[in-house]
Amino acid sequence: MLHLLGVNLPDQKVVSVALTYFYGIGPQTARKICSQLSFHQECKLSELTESQLNQLSGVLSEMSIENDLRRKVSANVKHLREIGTYVGKRHAMGLPVHGQRTRNNTKTAKKLNGHLLRKYSTCSKTTAFGIFQAPVSKHY
Amino acid sequence: MLRTGRIVQSATAARVPPHTNKGCVRMLTTSPTPAKQVVKTDRMRSTAFTRKDLVEKRVRSGTATSVNMANANPIYYEKLPKLHVETLNSRTAISEHAGKIMQIDGSFLQGIGKEHYPGYLGNDFKLFGVPALLYRKFTQDLVDQFNAYKEQGPKRASVLDGKNGIGKSAELMKLASVAASSGCIVIYAHSTVPWVNSSRPYAPQSHNDQFMQLEITSGLLRSIEAVSKDALKKVPLGKALVIGKRNLSEQHTLADLVSFGIHTPALAHDVLEHFLDLVSTQTKVPVLMAIDEVNTFWCSTLYRDQQDQILPANRLRLIRSLLPFFEGEKTLAKGWVLGATSYINPRFMPKELNKKLNPPPTAPLANPELANNPKILASQPSLPFDTIKISGLTAVEAWVLMHFYHRMNVVSTPVTEALVAKKWMVSSGNPRQLFAGVTTFI
Repeated sequence: MLHLLGVNLPDQKVVSVALTYFYGIGPQTARKICSQLSFHQECKLSELTESQLNQLSGVLSEMSIENDLRRKVSANVKHLREIGTYVGKRHAMGLPVHGQRTRNNTKTAKKLNGHLLRKYSTCSKTTAFGIFQAPVSKHY
Repeated sequence: MLRTGRIVQSATAARVPPHTNKGCVRMLTTSPTPAKQVVKTDRMRSTAFTRKDLVEKRVRSGTATSVNMANANPIYYEKLPKLHVETLNSRTAISEHAGKIMQIDGSFLQGIGKEHYPGYLGNDFKLFGVPALLYRKFTQDLVDQFNAYKEQGPKRASVLDGKNGIGKSAELMKLASVAASSGCIVIYAHSTVPWVNSSRPYAPQSHNDQFMQLEITSGLLRSIEAVSKDALKKVPLGKALVIGKRNLSEQHTLADLVSFGIHTPALAHDVLEHFLDLVSTQTKVPVLMAIDEVNTFWCSTLYRDQQDQILPANRLRLIRSLLPFFEGEKTLAKGWVLGATSYINPRFMPKELNKKLNPPPTAPLANPELANNPKILASQPSLPFDTIKISGLTAVEAWVLMHFYHRMNVVSTPVTEALVAKKWMVSSGNPRQLFAGVTTFI
C-alpha cells in the first residue's frame, strides 16, 4: 500500500482509479491529473518512479482535497445557516435542500444533511416529537 | 424365520456397534473379497487437464477452440500427430508449392517472440502444435512482387485490405518470414494497436508537441535486430553520426546503430529515425517494411496531452517517423513498404479511411452526357498508398486446408468433396469463418 498525503492507496490499482480514493477526486479529475502528468491509462501505482510520485504529490497538494475540502464544505454550510438562508435552515432540519418532495423519499437527506451542523451529543437520538432536532441557535 | 431388522448390513461393511446388534441386524452373506476403499473424488478439481510445471499463458478467449493442448490430459485428448511440413523460406517459396501447408521459419518466430503472433494465429499454432499456414497463390504473387521490388522500390506503399479473417496478417507474416530468410532487412510490427491504446508509457517532448514512446520504440529495434541480424551487419553507416554523447563512425554498421538504440532506450527514437533514413537510401540490402494494423497511423489515440485533449496518432513520434513511408513522402530505394489493415477494433479504424478503402457502390448514370460531366460525378477517394484486396480461398485451397484440419484431428469426420464444398460456400472462402465452421458444434 502506498501512503500518499494521509491516504493509503492500493499499489496494484491503476493510477486513475487509485486517485479516486481521495475525498474530492472523482474519475474525471483523476483522468485530468493523469493526462497532466502523462501517465498512460493502464499505468499502475507500483510502476511509478520516485520522481513521478513526487510530481503526483505536488499536483495533489495544490488541490483542495480531503480535510481541506471537508472544512470548506462545512464552512459553506455553516455560513448559509448563520446568515439565515432557506438552504441553511433545510440543512439544519436535515431535510432536502434542492426542492425535492418531502411527503416521502427523504431518507438520504435525513441521514446526511446537516450532519456538519449537529453537535456530537451523548444523549439518544430520539428526542421529543420523535424527530432529531438541530441545536437551537441564537440566530433565528 | 429370520428376523428382519431396520439395519441391513453387508458382512464386508464396517462393523455395527454392539448395542445395535441385539437381534435386529440381519447379516448378509457376500463374497469373501475385501471391500474396495471408496476413493473420495474432489469435485472442485478437474481431471480433464493435468498440471504441468511450466506456467502456460492463458489462451485468449473468443476463439472457436480454447483448448491448450500442452496441458491436455492424455486420457481424454489424443496426442497431436507429428506433421512433417516444409519450412517456408526463400528457397521453398516457389509456385510449385502453392496450395501446400508450410511451416513458418523457426528463427523468424523466435525473433518476433511467441507472444507476438498477430490476431488469432497464436491460438491456431498452439492447437496444431506446429506454426503452419497455407501457402496460397496470393502469397506467391506477393513474393514475386517483392522479388521484383528488390531491384528498385516502388514510389508508393501498398496496403493489404479485406474482410475480417481473410488472411491479411497471415500473408504479411509469411512474406516477412520469406524476406528475413532471404537476407533482407525486415521491419516487422505484428500489431500497432498497443502503440495507440494508451497501454504503454509515453512522455511529452520539451521542444515540440510530439510524444515519445521509448519502451515501444526500443522493443521495435529489438525485433528488427532479432529478425535481420546478419543483414544489418552488411550495411555500413556511410557517414559519421552523433547521437547523444555517442559518436558512430562511417565504419560502424546498422547492427551497431540498432544495438546502441536497444541499450540506450532514452535515445531509441533518435536511433530509429537515423536507422530509417539510412535504410531507405542504401542499396546494398533490400528492405521489407511490414506493418500490421496500419490503420492506427491515422486514428485518434487513447492518449491525452497535458491539456486533456485526445492525441491524434501523428503526434506520437514513433508513428510520425513511419508515417511518411505510407503517405508517399519517403520511399525505399530497394525494397517494399507493405501494410495491412485490421477491422477487429473499429475504434482504431478512422471513418474517413474506411470510406476510402470501402467506397459505397455507385450506379452508373444512363445519360452519357451526365456520366461524362466531372462536376456531377462524385470525386474518387484518393489514398496515399496502393490497396491490394485479398480474395477468399479457392475451392482447391479450401480442400487442402480441410485435409490439414483432418490430419491434425481438428475435424474428426472424413473430408469429402461435399463437406468441403458446403463449408467453403457457407464461409464464402473466408479462412477464419471456415475454421470456425468446422470447429463450432451446433
